[in-house]
Amino acid sequence: MKHIKRNVRGSLFALLGLFMILTGYYFYNLFVYSDRWFSDPNNTRIKVDMENPSILPGNIQDRNQNVLVETKSTIKKDGKTTYYRSYRDDCRYAAHVIGSKRYGIGAEVLYIRYLLGYNNNLLERIYQKAFLDQEVGNNVILTIDMQLQKYITEVMGSQKGSVVLMDPRSGEILAMVSLPSFNPAQENEEPGEESLLNKASYGRYPPGSIMKVVTAAAALESGEDIRKDTLECKGSTDVGGIRINCYGQEAHGTVDLPRAMEVSCNAYFANLSLDMGWKQLRETGEKFGFNKNFLFSDIKTAKSQLPLTRNTSRKELAWSGVGQGKVLVSPLHVALIASSVANGGEMPNPKLIHGIQTRNGTIRYSTSHGTLSKPISPETAGKLKDMMIQAVENGTGRNARTSGMLIAGKTGTAETQEDQNPHSWFMGFAPADEPTLAIAVVLENAGTGGAKAATMAGKILRKAVRLGY
Amino acid sequence: MNSKQYEILALTLRYWFVFLLAYIFIQATYRTLRGVMSGKSNRRSTGNIPFILVLFSLSAFGLLAFRDPSGFDKDTALLGVLVSAVILFQFYFLHYVFRGMDEILLLMVYTLAILGFVVLQRLTPMLALRQLEWFAAGNVVLFLAIIMIPRISKPGRLLAPLMVLGPAILFLVAFFGEKSGGAASKLPIGDFSIQPSEFVKVIFIIVLAYSLKETQTFRQRIPPLLFAMFSILGVALQKDLGGALHYFLVFLFMYYMATSDWMLTAAAGGAGIGASVIGYRLFSHVRVRVEAWKNPWADVGSKGYQVAQSLMAMGSGGWFGMGLNLGEPYAIPASRTDFIFAAICEEFGILVGGMVIGLYILILIRSMQEALRAYRAPDMLLASGTAISLAIQAFIIIGGVIKMIPLTGITLPFVSYGGSSMIVSLSMIGIVEGVSVRNFRTAREEEQMDETDDEKPDEDEDT
Repeated sequence: MKHIKRNVRGSLFALLGLFMILTGYYFYNLFVYSDRWFSDPNNTRIKVDMENPSILPGNIQDRNQNVLVETKSTIKKDGKTTYYRSYRDDCRYAAHVIGSKRYGIGAEVLYIRYLLGYNNNLLERIYQKAFLDQEVGNNVILTIDMQLQKYITEVMGSQKGSVVLMDPRSGEILAMVSLPSFNPAQENEEPGEESLLNKASYGRYPPGSIMKVVTAAAALESGEDIRKDTLECKGSTDVGGIRINCYGQEAHGTVDLPRAMEVSCNAYFANLSLDMGWKQLRETGEKFGFNKNFLFSDIKTAKSQLPLTRNTSRKELAWSGVGQGKVLVSPLHVALIASSVANGGEMPNPKLIHGIQTRNGTIRYSTSHGTLSKPISPETAGKLKDMMIQAVENGTGRNARTSGMLIAGKTGTAETQEDQNPHSWFMGFAPADEPTLAIAVVLENAGTGGAKAATMAGKILRKAVRLGY
Repeated sequence: MNSKQYEILALTLRYWFVFLLAYIFIQATYRTLRGVMSGKSNRRSTGNIPFILVLFSLSAFGLLAFRDPSGFDKDTALLGVLVSAVILFQFYFLHYVFRGMDEILLLMVYTLAILGFVVLQRLTPMLALRQLEWFAAGNVVLFLAIIMIPRISKPGRLLAPLMVLGPAILFLVAFFGEKSGGAASKLPIGDFSIQPSEFVKVIFIIVLAYSLKETQTFRQRIPPLLFAMFSILGVALQKDLGGALHYFLVFLFMYYMATSDWMLTAAAGGAGIGASVIGYRLFSHVRVRVEAWKNPWADVGSKGYQVAQSLMAMGSGGWFGMGLNLGEPYAIPASRTDFIFAAICEEFGILVGGMVIGLYILILIRSMQEALRAYRAPDMLLASGTAISLAIQAFIIIGGVIKMIPLTGITLPFVSYGGSSMIVSLSMIGIVEGVSVRNFRTAREEEQMDETDDEKPDEDEDT
């Protein structure tokens, strides 16, 4: 009897534990994911019957309140009013951000909670049902600036790739371009799968040399003094028994950390990552958001990967430190890394919703800036910033230089396949002393980062500054 | 009432429903915790829970009666009155007939049942009436169980036939059952079909409770072990994965509680894990389930359809739900049976969903408390076995619906539509209540013996 009693009590506690896990899982998941589940394009509850809508979806506007998408009505021959979603022609410059009901992507789907007014309080909902002939949703004001979107799209031309421009202080995304694109206004167009993919958040590219910023951060954060560490780069250097080639077999001579960043020396960073080991590199990488599911409130994004484990070979580790191997990032993530360096070590929470405009015109601006995480210390951020300034002033990023404004940045040239040109990367921020802009540029198979992406980033940053950002 | 007016009413009444259910839940939690803390039984301290419960059922059915724009639906309103009357009658009838019954436990069960009636009525008009019939039948069984259980002292010769009967029925169904939804677990009888694995569950628990003893040699344990093995095998042969898992876990818990035999419990647990790995390798439908659990969004169209729909429904509800009849629970597959929890979350909200989980926890705690008060080992095993069975069943299906564990289709006890499930779940509560009544009587007899020893006059022993 005594034993049974004890066992019954033990079983009760075991089951209570299980139920606690169940309750925790239930509340945690509904708290974190319920908005995403709700706005899933497969959810029949958010499908609006345009013939006879119960709620008219609101407009989508850019940060200067230019209307991009609105609901319009026509009167059919039989006298009935039907509605349709009208996309301005400008929408094609921000096709992936605005998205389309038809393809189930972008703000049209993701912000349906606001567009249909489900975020309204009870009184407003009751008022609408009781006193209005037709219930209306709210307008969503995006953080993007259509002038910039247009400019970037035109500068990129037919080049495939992606650009993310954001304000590192607030995390507001000023422009997010992904090419090839599609035109939401064209109903009869049949865009391909690639055109529908928002490469800015879902593209997963090898980062190439821009990864060196993360590697340098990891080394600086490790607490070991690496200022005096130097390496003799011969263009094709033997690093701990592994042959590391620098781009174009260029010999950089004796390099220390700032110099290596300036000239983007692979051998130095390969050596650095071998010295600090996989643990340190992965730890800092994960603080920067690698291997993590980002759960941003406004944007869905792919997971960036830095697959380092105990079993990673030394060769793999060395190449991970220079952004080759199995490392993959999304351009949005790169812009966030640039923002954290610009911000003194604080990674902002990226935002695409500037505000919500209610039925009577008042705008509730989104107030949830806040920091996402603090991947590095302000000292490390300061050192990285100095190195990135030098990389633009004297190093591989020279093409991004601008008169009258100091730009900090890092180029990247990511090798993909043997017979193809590498991806051209640039990450940076400006003005370097008081950063208000952070940028990530990736141009697919366009050549070196210094030649293509840096030039383009310089142009875009100049344009943004001229527009007053 | 036009549809706009209904929407306003439903939107406002969401808060009322959450308030009523929260009131019941908090009252019950408070009373249960006070009982646990003080160590005294407070079986009869129900406060005004029955009244609030009736208020909930009347207002929910009353609201549903207005949902049709063409006019007031008298049938639904009357059904609400009928549900309230049945609940009140059952509760007070049992209250006056049986001393020592755990009444809060009964009320928790009735709360879940009423929530089920409301959701079923909302999904399919007058389906709640069918369910109410099952509920009434289940209450008769519950009543019989409360009478029977305190009278059984030695099951003796009944045990051996039951040991053969249980697995025999399960095997019979596995080979001749009616196939539905991939599993052959139903047996057609006349107009409707029953699910024998539900009924055998009661036999399973009773046999294990009376045949497993601590002081047995291993040889003496062979018959119950064989019985358990064949029963689980019988359910597994029906391709009813959830059922097999349920039987298996109940067996593990009961065997360990009865015998304290770590070794064999661990070995059986290992064998269970091994069997599921083999099942995963061998059967494609098991792999599909696991894939749908890992990422239902990867293939929303087919494999992940059920779980994704359930998650979308729950995500649409928000804290207070979309409002009764304002959601689209039809989009959820099997929303009346396996996925009824998702339908509740959609229209009543996350908070009420959490309270449903909480009610199962309370049912578990109160039943286990009753088991701990038992004076005889079989009683203890009976009460704890049924409590564990109900808790595990709720855990498996809620966990599956919220994507915590791979989905296996079993019913949510007391809430899901289905006669077999309702009757069996209620009879299990009857077993717990029977043990409770017996505990109460034994305690009273002991008290009286003490008093006669001390030659003191009788006092009122009401708790």
